[in-house]
Amino acid sequence: MKTETRNNILQIIKKRGGVRPNDLKKELGITPQAIHRHLRSMVAASEIEVIGRGPKTLYYIAGNPRLDKVLNWSASNDRPAGDPGESNCETRDVFTARLSHLSSLTKTGLKEEDLSLVISVAGEIGNNCFDHNLGNWRDVPGCWFEFQVTAGRLWICIADRGQGVFRSLRRVDPSIPDDQSALITAFEKTLSGRAPENRGNGLKFVRNIIVVGEKRGVACRSGAGIVDYGSLGQECRSVLAVHPHPPIGTVTLILWSMI
Amino acid sequence: MRIALKSYGTILTSRPAGREAALSMKAHIHPVPGEMIELDFDGVLSVGPSWLDEVLSSLRGDYGRERVICLPTKNFSVIESLRVIDA
Repeated sequence: MKTETRNNILQIIKKRGGVRPNDLKKELGITPQAIHRHLRSMVAASEIEVIGRGPKTLYYIAGNPRLDKVLNWSASNDRPAGDPGESNCETRDVFTARLSHLSSLTKTGLKEEDLSLVISVAGEIGNNCFDHNLGNWRDVPGCWFEFQVTAGRLWICIADRGQGVFRSLRRVDPSIPDDQSALITAFEKTLSGRAPENRGNGLKFVRNIIVVGEKRGVACRSGAGIVDYGSLGQECRSVLAVHPHPPIGTVTLILWSMI
Repeated sequence: MRIALKSYGTILTSRPAGREAALSMKAHIHPVPGEMIELDFDGVLSVGPSWLDEVLSSLRGDYGRERVICLPTKNFSVIESLRVIDA
């Protein structure tokens, strides 16, 4: 019975994302005391984690990212309503300043030697948003940049509402047929979307860093295309694939195990 | 001649920032003919290939490829950036 209730709680949280104790009480028809007892033991067992306090307390599956806001923002056909708040980096300067916030990750378990790589990987992806879209944003300028640590796993999400990889690369190589081919070219071949400037190494660098590590992954979605690399790449892809694909811009999700 | 890159910041990313750093370097260094230009990464937290590519391309273009060298470092972001740039 105890195991069955805990399994039911896990299934509800998986299905809904974050849930409140009151939601579980209504759904399972058991007392608040019993709900809280189960939740406490599941938190202690690192199956779930608690975010927020008081009436705003929500329980999530441990290790999974909470990315509904950014992925809905990215997938919106129209200009997204509401303010993305601190996650929005309207200019490159703001993005660069927020990039330095990653330095705090050593306090949550990221190894010193990994920090330089995490920052450079996120920096390449974020700066790409500005390199390829400056003056050509579809509606909202800049990029969405956020990172979360859950159960020893670092998730970094960077999204923009720009032209997308296909449009950027098709200008320099009209033979690229579609979104999927454009993404593969971007991550695996040296071709600058800003020719005649000699560029095009950034995403190869990202792929190299991700692939060389044991527990790292990246997935990138642009238009109808999606690619993933690294041992945890498939997991990143699964998270992105739950939401509708972005109509034009690009969204990249990085997963870096700190354990 | 040694250039301490930490004086350009501890996080060195993006091409525009690299281009600006290279212009600043060239305005302030005056190597005598044949003198080596050594890039010192001590004190730098992270470097991206875009930033480093801009700096190296600019300095190598002016002073020659063989005169611009990166001093040994244990910083993985530098090592991996060089691997991509010089591939």
